Amino acid sequence: MKFLTNSLAKKMWLTVTAAIIITILYSYFLSYLFYEKIYVENVRGSLLTEGRSLASEYQGGALTEDLREKIDWYNSKSETEVFIVSNPRELSACLPFEIDYQTLIGEAEREELLKGSPVEKLGYEKRFDRKIMGVIIPLLDDNRLQGIIYLYVPLAKISEITQDFAYLWIAAAMIFTVISILLGTMLVKKLTKPLLDMKDAAEHVSKGHYDIHLNIDSKDEIGQLANAFNHMSSSIQKEDEKKKDFLANVSHELRTPISYVKGYSEALISEMVKSEDDRKKYLQLILRESRRMERLVGDLLDLSRLESDEYKLEKMPLPLGQLIEDAIEKYKPILHEKGLDLHYHLDPDVIINGDEGRIEQVIQNIIDNSIRYTAKGRISIRLYQEKDKCLIDIEDTGIGISEEHLSKIKQRFYRVNKGRTRSDGGTGLGLAIAEKLVKIHQGELTVLSELNKGTTVKIMLPLFEIS
Amino acid sequence: MSKKYWFFLLLIAAAFLSSCSEKRQPSIPENISFAATVNIKDMTISFVDLAKKELVAEWIMEKPYTGALILPDNDSILLYGKQLKTADLYSLKGGKLLDSWETGEGIVNGILLDTNEIAFADQNINKIRLFNLNGEEEKQIETERDPLTLLESGEENKLFVLSFNHEKLGIIDLESKAKSGEFTIHPSAAGAWLNEKSGEIWIGGHGEGIEIEQNIHVYDAETGELKKKIPAASMPINFLGQANYVYVLSHGSNMLYKLNESGEETASVSIAANPFEMAFVNNTLLVAGYDSNDLHILEQENLKTLKNIKVGEGPFKIVIRESVK
Repeated sequence: MKFLTNSLAKKMWLTVTAAIIITILYSYFLSYLFYEKIYVENVRGSLLTEGRSLASEYQGGALTEDLREKIDWYNSKSETEVFIVSNPRELSACLPFEIDYQTLIGEAEREELLKGSPVEKLGYEKRFDRKIMGVIIPLLDDNRLQGIIYLYVPLAKISEITQDFAYLWIAAAMIFTVISILLGTMLVKKLTKPLLDMKDAAEHVSKGHYDIHLNIDSKDEIGQLANAFNHMSSSIQKEDEKKKDFLANVSHELRTPISYVKGYSEALISEMVKSEDDRKKYLQLILRESRRMERLVGDLLDLSRLESDEYKLEKMPLPLGQLIEDAIEKYKPILHEKGLDLHYHLDPDVIINGDEGRIEQVIQNIIDNSIRYTAKGRISIRLYQEKDKCLIDIEDTGIGISEEHLSKIKQRFYRVNKGRTRSDGGTGLGLAIAEKLVKIHQGELTVLSELNKGTTVKIMLPLFEIS
Repeated sequence: MSKKYWFFLLLIAAAFLSSCSEKRQPSIPENISFAATVNIKDMTISFVDLAKKELVAEWIMEKPYTGALILPDNDSILLYGKQLKTADLYSLKGGKLLDSWETGEGIVNGILLDTNEIAFADQNINKIRLFNLNGEEEKQIETERDPLTLLESGEENKLFVLSFNHEKLGIIDLESKAKSGEFTIHPSAAGAWLNEKSGEIWIGGHGEGIEIEQNIHVYDAETGELKKKIPAASMPINFLGQANYVYVLSHGSNMLYKLNESGEETASVSIAANPFEMAFVNNTLLVAGYDSNDLHILEQENLKTLKNIKVGEGPFKIVIRESVK
């Protein structure tokens, strides 16, 4: 049995075959039954009509010889067996005396006949020693049962006809079975082939080859599954590439400060640096690069925590305007230093449900970026409400981002100018972290920019709902 | 249990108890003369007032009785049947069961003898059983197999027993209460009349197998010699003799014949449907139609029908009670 059920194709084949055979058998018995019923019904009807018309010859009183002759003559001409009986013994007239004699009709039948209704017989009759379909018509003279006309056909005749029918049916059914099983097998093969393909493809993927593509054109569930499979494998492939890029980026980002630290510390150790000023300068460079590495590692840690589902926000109602204003306060010295103008217009009524530290981090990351890429001009910040949301626009007049880079700007370590180093002090993770944080606050972060004109970062956050 | 449920239980219990309790039948007054028919098909007993010539009461029975006897007290009716374990005695006036006689199954016929004893034909043990009027069995007498028709000869103090399927007539001496002789008769014999003057016994029957009996067989009551056959088509099965005439009922052709003692037909009439039973009362003759479910009242003289009364289904036995007062 295990041999038969160890594959889906075999199971489907078994199901299809069983369904075909059951259907055929069922329809055979059903139609046989109907056929026989209709045929027997038909015979019964014609026997009744025949019997009634013969009985109309009876004029009352005792049965005449003339009537007997008529019935005999009719019997000799008809396919039906017909005879007339007037013997009271046969008609169970002596019944209460319990005569030891097999009468033609029984007590209950006699009662029916006395009421004037014909009696129908279907089945084995001891008197004729065969199965019959018969009809008994009473010949009544007032309330006296003077005789009966008994008409019957042997059931063998009926079953002969149904036998012919059965042979024809069996032949047709066999041809039909063979054809439908063949077609069923083909259909099952066609249905299960994509599944086998998919199995092979999955094995291929599990070995680390993600470049697989299934060519299945059907639009059904299996086709959809194949599409999903293709989609999945390409996603895995992309993710794999991203992972590789990420590792490359991380090592690249770390290598620069490490080589700084290594070079300057070697220079210090080998006492190549003579003056105290240079030594101090070198040490400051080493410190700067170490801080950068610290930031970078810190950001990476943040990012990995944000990406895991366990990250918990400590949400509370926050007056957003106040929070932004406090953040801006910290930047005022550096803005002044860089000679940048700052404009801000903050709606003081905006209250959101958020984690104070995290929202502050978002604002800082964006303002950091704006300051970093803006050499001159101004930075303006706006906070306003729109329906059940609030929006923060942080706009600068910096270098801007070209369209081709704009869509990738939120990726980790993405750099518009690949050749540029991190001399500006960023880790390349700020925007990615900001976007994640906004997302887990059910918000949205979009970047609009035009090259050489400036960049606008729009942050949408849901307002705090007072329920 | 809900109240409704209790109510149903009570109903069922009531129905059960009432079915167990003694069922009372309509009372038959003492002062009327009646003919009662025991109807097999619907298990009823129909009482016909002979003076008014109309149906006066119907008893619906719970057992398939096939025959009845009126006891000499003129108020007790004894009902019996082949499939019944008891013969039941009912009071006509009280309409209730008085006594049940433990007869066992197999009783097919019974007559009241001149000695005020009851002779039952028992087909299960193939014996004639004599009971007194208190329902005590006095004697069992060996006889032919399948005894059916019983005929008493008052003069000779004999009981003639016709075997239905075994072509025998047994003679029982009522003095000694023992079998005193037998002779061979024709098969499927039923119905008999004893002509004590000429020592003849007339026996009818249904005919054997597919054959239909067309004749009355006349035997010598002493020797058993077949003396002659009298045509009486077809299936003569009931005989009544009175005032030099014999009335013969043939159920196969629904004919009633009036014959003189030498067997010549003096009158005949087609009557009822499948008649089995007849009885005399005063100057009239009663004939019950088994299939026509009726009782015909005829004049004895010319067999003219006086009245036709509907009774229960399948009248098989007639018993007569003359009024007491």
